[in-house]
Amino acid sequence: MTTTTTARPRHDAPAQRARRGSTARRETWGSAALLLLPAVALLLVLRIIPTFAALSEAVPLGSERSPWSNFAYIFSDPSFWNAVRVTLIFSIIVNPLQIALALALAVLLTKRIPAVGLWRTLILLPIAVPQAVSAIIWLVLLRPDGPLNGIATSLGLPTVPWLTDPTWALASIIIVCSWVGVGYWMTFLVTGIKEIPLSLYEASALDGAGSWRQFWSITLPGLRRPLLFVLVADTVSNFLVFAPVRILTRGGPQGGTDLLMYNISERAYTLGDTQAASAATLVLVLIVVAVVTVQFRLLPGRED
Amino acid sequence: MADAPTRREVASGRRALLLAVPIAALSMAPLVWATISSLRPGEEIFRYLSPFSWRTVIPESVSLDNFVSVLQSSFAPALMNSVIVAFLSVTLGLVVAALAGFALAVLPFPGRGAVFAFMVVCFLVPFEAIAIPLSSTFRDLGLANTYAGLVLPALGNGLSIFLLRQFFMGVPASLAEAGRLDGLSWTGVFRRIYLPLSRGPLIGAGLILFVFQWQSFLWPLLIAPAPGVRVAPVAIADFAQETGVDYGQMFAAAILTAAIPLILLLAFQRHFTGSTASSGSKE
Repeated sequence: MTTTTTARPRHDAPAQRARRGSTARRETWGSAALLLLPAVALLLVLRIIPTFAALSEAVPLGSERSPWSNFAYIFSDPSFWNAVRVTLIFSIIVNPLQIALALALAVLLTKRIPAVGLWRTLILLPIAVPQAVSAIIWLVLLRPDGPLNGIATSLGLPTVPWLTDPTWALASIIIVCSWVGVGYWMTFLVTGIKEIPLSLYEASALDGAGSWRQFWSITLPGLRRPLLFVLVADTVSNFLVFAPVRILTRGGPQGGTDLLMYNISERAYTLGDTQAASAATLVLVLIVVAVVTVQFRLLPGRED
Repeated sequence: MADAPTRREVASGRRALLLAVPIAALSMAPLVWATISSLRPGEEIFRYLSPFSWRTVIPESVSLDNFVSVLQSSFAPALMNSVIVAFLSVTLGLVVAALAGFALAVLPFPGRGAVFAFMVVCFLVPFEAIAIPLSSTFRDLGLANTYAGLVLPALGNGLSIFLLRQFFMGVPASLAEAGRLDGLSWTGVFRRIYLPLSRGPLIGAGLILFVFQWQSFLWPLLIAPAPGVRVAPVAIADFAQETGVDYGQMFAAAILTAAIPLILLLAFQRHFTGSTASSGSKE
């Protein structure tokens, strides 16, 4: 397809060079369009068009009700605001926690440890279990008479109201989500650390830098792009947590774990109010877009 | 011998091992407990939960009954379906994502920032929220109860494109420029220069695509409920009926579902450990 550029003459007239420049530019644009076509077409059909379908449900035009009535309804609903509050508290705790743990583990598991691949794989494994099932495993583990409280009792510690107290229930959801997620996000940071040239570490070791110093001056700067990816992707996925809430707490007790995705699905499937559910989904997406935009600003991944 | 570990490195590796093993054990504990439970017959799972004793972790008698009956049920073909669907999603999805990620990271063209923003917005939309309108479109197109119906949504994966773009941007631009000056087309630059450098990121993107498909539950339930194309998570849900949850069988099925990625991951880790990190050594 692309015309092959023949052996390049070194000294050519400016006009010739300009002409070649514009051919090259056209070739670049053509290639870009071709390379992007499959992804853009798939995303349009599979994500954007259905999103507009949801949008048209949330904002019903041409009925006698106001197009914004669904938003007016959810904004006047205290359970919606409670879900927003719980989701924000959850995000503020779970994201730094998971990213810090994932980063610490990635640094640990890129050292020269015997059978390092095995330990990495075992820590990654929870993501391989369908979430609906792993949540059921935790449901049994966290029962008032479950093994976790059993261990606490036999150590002489007080038992914990894991799923029966609003604060502990949110903590339980955070623990389960982190058990699933930390190994997953760690994997991307491990890949990132391995891309950092070893020579940088060797040079700084010759200069007498300790491992703490190396972490701040080599590992962290070298991880900027993968770290931005993990920050954004982890934040998004934590805004969309659903299965653990559904199985462990059903949003309770007293709305203490009513994350927005669960609140939305209750509206759609239990109450059958798909219009309010679509409106709430749009609010959720807007919150996520706002947070992610801030993250891109704070941690620019580009410098080209 | 540029890669031989120094004595100091070996010592710090040993110390790190003392941390890594307990963390791995902690991470595995819930799954080990589920495995033990799946080896117990019948209602024994709940008999020794509390108070915690050695009986909580060591079954009275070990039986493979749960595994045998799970493998004889409709779960076995469902697990096979999951494997086929995941394989197709990962291979096709990687091609789509790698091409797009490369174009977004390397090619200078007008509107690049806008196209990238479009991709980011696409993975901000919760798939569960659009699953219902999308599934009715799929049914109209005759994609209900087909592998294509299961695989297609996994291919529009903005997250894997984002990941590969991040890594491709880290490749020095001078490499691409040199390739271009040598008369390589852009696809040539991609194939000859970028692909060989990005084994690690490609495995990461493959992992994203795999997890999306391996975890998906609502979508297969909507679009492929027929026994012939049912996937593992949907089949597992069948062990929780109105009559009560068969925990033994459910845990056995969960362990089998986790075992396949475990085997793949162990094979991959062995194959790729240390490969990319050796960029500084002369081989």
